[in-house]
Amino acid sequence: MTSASDDTDPEKRDPGLAHERTSLAWTRTAISFGALGGVVLKVNVITGLLILAIAPLVWQLGRLSGAEASGLEPASITRIRLITVSIVGVAVLCLLVALFGRSAPGALR
Amino acid sequence: MSWSGRLAALLPGTTAADKEGTEPDPRFSFANERTFLAWSRTALALVVAGLGIVQLLPPFPGVPIGRHLLGVPLIALGAVLAVVAYAEWVHNQRALRHGKPLPRSIMPWILAATIAGMAVISAIVLLLSATR
Repeated sequence: MTSASDDTDPEKRDPGLAHERTSLAWTRTAISFGALGGVVLKVNVITGLLILAIAPLVWQLGRLSGAEASGLEPASITRIRLITVSIVGVAVLCLLVALFGRSAPGALR
Repeated sequence: MSWSGRLAALLPGTTAADKEGTEPDPRFSFANERTFLAWSRTALALVVAGLGIVQLLPPFPGVPIGRHLLGVPLIALGAVLAVVAYAEWVHNQRALRHGKPLPRSIMPWILAATIAGMAVISAIVLLLSATR
């Protein structure tokens, strides 16, 4: 665990790449939202645009954790909660599209 | 802990009191955050797979609801996975603050059960479709 002293705190001595890895993980998550939005766009344009709009927001959240790099602040619970809520929301939207949307059979053929 | 107790421990009112213990090493917090994000992406992948099956695949001959049988559970499990990922993030962060061992994750179990279930449903749908 962290020590108050700067000399013995390994994080202060060598910040390491933990923060950078986490930033990249946020970017990957944003790209995942974009990819999902792209697929939904083929099925239902409005829902697709809605999901695509989430991608830059998630990316911004990741940059937010980047801005805190100087203070080395990991994500607050609010940010974690935002992601959870948006994924559940997206799942509900996709469920509605899957159940009631006009299917485009053979679109993959 | 009972299920209702576990759920109540995740509500905003209780998590706001999560300031006990000591602030963990940021690297541990970052690792916990990345684990959560990785499960989030897995959840999104399940959703996109489910939607793709329902909307983009050609229908199974003879099994009109075949695509829905495969796709709808996948989408629902995506939502479940996201919520469980959040719960585990909260529990892990609490354990880190108190210097306790991390609780065992139920995610591998959920994922294994999902894949096994989907394999069974796929086999049934394909067999029904082939015998028509």
